[in-house]
Amino acid sequence: MLAAARELQIPLLAVLLLGGCAVKAWRVLRSRSIKPALDPAGLFPLRLHRPIMMAMCATEFGLGLGLIATAGRTGTNVPATIVRTACVLFFLIAMGALNETRQRRPAAGCGCFGDFSDTPIGWRTIARAGVLCAAAAVTIGLPPLRMPSSSTTAEMWLAVLAFELSLIAFFSPELGEILVRLGYSEPCELRRLPVERTMAALHASSPWRRYARQISGAAPIDVWREGCWRFVVYAGVARGRRVDIVFAVYLQSRRPVIRAAVLDAATDEVLGLAETREFTAIR
Amino acid sequence: MRHLADFPRWYDDVTESTGPARFARRSLLKAAVLGRPDEPEYPPLGTGVDAAWAATRALVYTVTGRILDVSPHILVLGTAWGEQRFPLDPATQAWRGGPAAPAALRRGDHAIARRRYPGGPVVDRIWAEAGRVTGTIAEREGPAALLVDEGPVKGRKLVVISAEAAGRIQVRFPRLEPGYLIDVIGVKHDGYLQALIPATSQPPYPADHPPVPPLVSGHVPDPVNGAAVWHEPGEEPEDLLGLAYPALDPETSCEHAGFAPPGCSGDPHATGPGCVRLPYLSVGSLLWLRNDCAERTRQLPVTSCGATARLFCDRCVTCGTSRKGRIADLTMAAFVELGGNLEAGCFNATMTIGG
Repeated sequence: MLAAARELQIPLLAVLLLGGCAVKAWRVLRSRSIKPALDPAGLFPLRLHRPIMMAMCATEFGLGLGLIATAGRTGTNVPATIVRTACVLFFLIAMGALNETRQRRPAAGCGCFGDFSDTPIGWRTIARAGVLCAAAAVTIGLPPLRMPSSSTTAEMWLAVLAFELSLIAFFSPELGEILVRLGYSEPCELRRLPVERTMAALHASSPWRRYARQISGAAPIDVWREGCWRFVVYAGVARGRRVDIVFAVYLQSRRPVIRAAVLDAATDEVLGLAETREFTAIR
Repeated sequence: MRHLADFPRWYDDVTESTGPARFARRSLLKAAVLGRPDEPEYPPLGTGVDAAWAATRALVYTVTGRILDVSPHILVLGTAWGEQRFPLDPATQAWRGGPAAPAALRRGDHAIARRRYPGGPVVDRIWAEAGRVTGTIAEREGPAALLVDEGPVKGRKLVVISAEAAGRIQVRFPRLEPGYLIDVIGVKHDGYLQALIPATSQPPYPADHPPVPPLVSGHVPDPVNGAAVWHEPGEEPEDLLGLAYPALDPETSCEHAGFAPPGCSGDPHATGPGCVRLPYLSVGSLLWLRNDCAERTRQLPVTSCGATARLFCDRCVTCGTSRKGRIADLTMAAFVELGGNLEAGCFNATMTIGG
């Protein structure tokens, strides 16, 4: 049982280290800037944030790969011991840094798993680093890993894995954040929606077909947004009068409500209204 | 401050002239297509844009101009409508870097004054050469001079911290280093601001890394509470009644108005939504703003981009403690019109998005 638990730590630590590095890199790539990933370097002077962050990411990547590379028969004892000791040191330093950050910047998140780690550092985050430090410590001196020799051993591996994942999940504030985000849908007034999609929805709508013949210019004369609505204005001519044709497009991905109005360009008199379908909630 | 009329990318195709008339017409067009006005007393459709826009622009309490003459009993201002005389009474207070007697103000100073009663002749508050710089410290030149980046639209301003104010400012702004935020009020001079009063306390985070706001469940609450601050007119008309809104539509407004120069650490457009989640609006949108301290409400148009306000997650304590975050960056005239005192820097505000 104890041997199975020890053997399990190596792949688990490797996955966590590589995962942490990947999530940070993904955050940087997504925002096209390293700035959002600088949380863990918050204790240091501003000019050191970038190099420290890069060093931390490289360390996680290196240790994760090192654990995998030295786990099997190819790894000799010395490299494996060096990598595993480095892991212990890494998590030990992380514990100290998290504790220090918690005291100096109580509102800061640890940034351990990118966007998901924005929750202020608490005892759970520090305890998680402690658990991982202990997990790394028990791998020192472990012989090369092998596949489970029997189904009983495999079941024991799975049981230990389930227990340890539960423990890490309990110590991870990120889990709550992930669950919230999985079920979260941003309200329409906060959602970024490209103008191109609004125009595509408008051009496929019946109000557009209804007024298209009256529109005199290829390009809109104004486009703007207020809350959940985007407004598009075209110049046109109706019954010999210069008119402005206003379309209001509700900002939702599928089948948006579209309304239209025609105003006399000189007097602002409303000459006509149209909409695609009834709706109840507008903001 | 530049008005946001530049629409790059496919907006290059947007035809017709740009400018205030187009923005002013937006609320009218919105009311026409959605069939609901922005306000109960909104002028009926057909009366023209000018009437609606003028209703939001009219200054009832505030007057701005250059001091032509001043005595203990009368203030003579050169305004956009010519020379105007305002009687002063013993209770009239003046400010020029600090409390001062009205007679101590100087000829040639730019002044903004508030009438005691709407449209009345007597002035009870006068501010002379009041200025403010809000943004990210870009460079520190010696112990007392800072180059502050106010964002891609407003550019950089030089701030000189006078010796007598250094202690007061450093208590509230302990990190006068590049990358950190600053917000100071003082006296305008040719080419720089003499900082005298800290307008808030320095946020502990670097400018490019403000806290992430919590996720919004359902719709954004309306009305929303927070702090309202003010900004210098810049390229805006001095008597403009409006506000810089922190959450202009990123697809059509702020983000396309300009980009931070290389090495600028405080581009507010790259820092997320700030600590208050506000619905996306555009220049020309109308909203109601209430000064909770003076209990005065006005409908104001959005006149420019206030992305820098997103960087500050502070609270206003002018009367009680406001909710965290800046919800509006008013023009000087609008701030005074709503009963705010420029030297206080902010007031607790309630904002209702129109329509």
